[in-house]
Amino acid sequence: MKVTFPHMGNMYVPIKVLLDTSGIDYVMPPYCTNEPLELGIRHSPEFACLPFKTILGDFIYGVDNGADFILFAGGRGQCRLGYYGDLQAEILKSLDYKVKFVCLDLTNLTPKEILNRIKPLTEGKSILNIIKGIIYAVKTVYMVDNLNELARYTRCREIIKGQTDRLISQFHNLAQKANGYKNISDIINLTKKSLRQIPVDKKYKPVKVSIVGEMYVSTHPNINFQLEKKLGNMGVEVQNNLSISHWITDHFVRKLLPIKFKKEPHEAGKEYMKTNDIGGHGIHTIGCSILSAKNNFDGVIHLYPFTCMPEIIAQCAFSEVQNKYDIPIMTLIIDEMTGEAGYMTRLEAFIDMLKMKSEVATTNN
Amino acid sequence: MITIGLPKGLFYFEHNMLWERFFKNLGCNVITSQDTNKQILDYGVKCCSNETCLPVKVFHGHVYSIKDIVDYVFIPRYISLDKNEYTCPKFCGLPDMAVLNLKRQVKVLEVRIHTDMFPSETFDSLLEISRVLNIKYSDIIEAFKAASKEFDEYIQNRHKFNQYIKDVSSTKSALSVLGHPYMIYDSYLSMTLLDKLTRRSITVYTPKDIDHETKRRNAYPFQGKVFWDVGFELLGSAFTFAEDKNIKGLIYLTPFACGVDAFILEFIERRIKSHYNIPLLKLTIDEHTGEAGFDTRLEAFLDMVG
Ligand code: SF4
Ligand code: SF4
Repeated sequence: MKVTFPHMGNMYVPIKVLLDTSGIDYVMPPYCTNEPLELGIRHSPEFACLPFKTILGDFIYGVDNGADFILFAGGRGQCRLGYYGDLQAEILKSLDYKVKFVCLDLTNLTPKEILNRIKPLTEGKSILNIIKGIIYAVKTVYMVDNLNELARYTRCREIIKGQTDRLISQFHNLAQKANGYKNISDIINLTKKSLRQIPVDKKYKPVKVSIVGEMYVSTHPNINFQLEKKLGNMGVEVQNNLSISHWITDHFVRKLLPIKFKKEPHEAGKEYMKTNDIGGHGIHTIGCSILSAKNNFDGVIHLYPFTCMPEIIAQCAFSEVQNKYDIPIMTLIIDEMTGEAGYMTRLEAFIDMLKMKSEVATTNN
Repeated sequence: MITIGLPKGLFYFEHNMLWERFFKNLGCNVITSQDTNKQILDYGVKCCSNETCLPVKVFHGHVYSIKDIVDYVFIPRYISLDKNEYTCPKFCGLPDMAVLNLKRQVKVLEVRIHTDMFPSETFDSLLEISRVLNIKYSDIIEAFKAASKEFDEYIQNRHKFNQYIKDVSSTKSALSVLGHPYMIYDSYLSMTLLDKLTRRSITVYTPKDIDHETKRRNAYPFQGKVFWDVGFELLGSAFTFAEDKNIKGLIYLTPFACGVDAFILEFIERRIKSHYNIPLLKLTIDEHTGEAGFDTRLEAFLDMVG
């Protein structure tokens, strides 16, 4: 059996490590190209959220290129994400694709049931290698996020513009071709080393912007018009609150620890939502905006895909958050129709405003 | 006497009776907002961000229209109304959205319902109501239980008398109208669709006419799984009606950019195409939809199904 998987930001790097190490065959859709996206848009309902469309596109591409197994996680709850798999399976079926689509309901199944359902993939593979694969993959998640952190630091401070971008795109070229933990971690380390050697202006005080919103569009450069890169090259230091490592830490690592952590953004967000869950990342979005203000960020960029329900709810809180915590927030909504020019104009105007505001603040002090 | 306002939107079309009784049992005065009209829609559009779906905008308009003549506006927080069934995320955030979008110019009372995972939360919220209204908790519980009982009986009776039974309907051809209750039963948002059909002496069935269990049983592909409640309702209704030879067509009324309908409709459209031979008309409504264009599409469809 050959599996395929959808892209989300840098996730493909750890997923490759996992599959390589466990010895599972796979087809990886091309990273950051438009072909899968177009496939997805063609076969999705018009008002599905954009992540649905790109994920479906990746699946179709994968199956067209030899994959016969799709593994996807769903679950109970409010948001559409929980029901993505069912609809995608239905669409693939009506397009006459013969593919085994396994949708794991992670909230309902025991580990044993999970293992049972993915058996076609793991059959004949060594359990030891699979466990090793999982451990390596988690390590890789943190390494890649770390690499991104570094890039965010150098990009806005580099003296010769474009050096960080060149290293990062070189990293992606190499990582897509490389196999196995050893090779991939070598590439990560090498890139890190080169990033550290980029000459930077250490005294430069960048404007700091924090990205909040829906996870998929916030982490997927191909969909958010390379937001992080653009901001960095405008001399802005970025914090992205939606990294996969945060998510793993929140959902798995902390659950295993004996001390109960309160999830900080979540608690902060509840100032405006008197409930525990409004689906997706809604409450997290509000909380991160508040915390960004408290941590002296200059502004917040709120990103979400058109028709995203939890983020529309979260947005209601922003006019109060902006006033009470004195932080400008700009919402950018993305769909396949969004034009880059209009998007850039709004982004540039927002950043200019932040820069002006911070200059006024420094001269006043 | 305390006056409670009930906005005539969203939850109202299914549960107005429950909440009206509840507050009347408590000795409150209950005021319901008017039927949706242009002014209410305009209020709603003004309060909400552009991205908000039409029914939620309209709901805000209703809240706005009564906020100054009542002590509290009642907005329930529906999270899950049955085992394995969830609501649209917007229902979970609704009380907060209203407070924020109306710039805190409204006092809201909520009852929270989370049947799937945390049924006890309902009682926490009732306790809160008891505190705010300064009414004994035991009285609140009693009022709530009495109202729930009456409501359940009403629903059961409705099904006994009004239940759509295939064999009965089979003597006569009919149409089915599908969509969220707050779309199809709100005569402003639906452009009086139900009236228009009845005036032509067309028999119309809606999801209300099929009993709960039948809908769950026919809600392909979610039978026995977790899904949105309205998804069970609409998938189940669509496929039950589609089986019936005397139902000549399905009309699905959907608000522009509804995230939930995007999925439900896709399931219905694909399966209708592959398994049934029944015409389906999808009518999308937004605040700019003109009645003339709407009527033209409806006429064309009616001519086609004959
Ligand atoms: S959070 Fe937004 S993007 Fe994600 S599934 Fe829900 S509606 Fe879609
Ligand atoms: S189900 Fe659709 S129309 Fe209803 S509140 Fe949710 S998004 Fe709006």
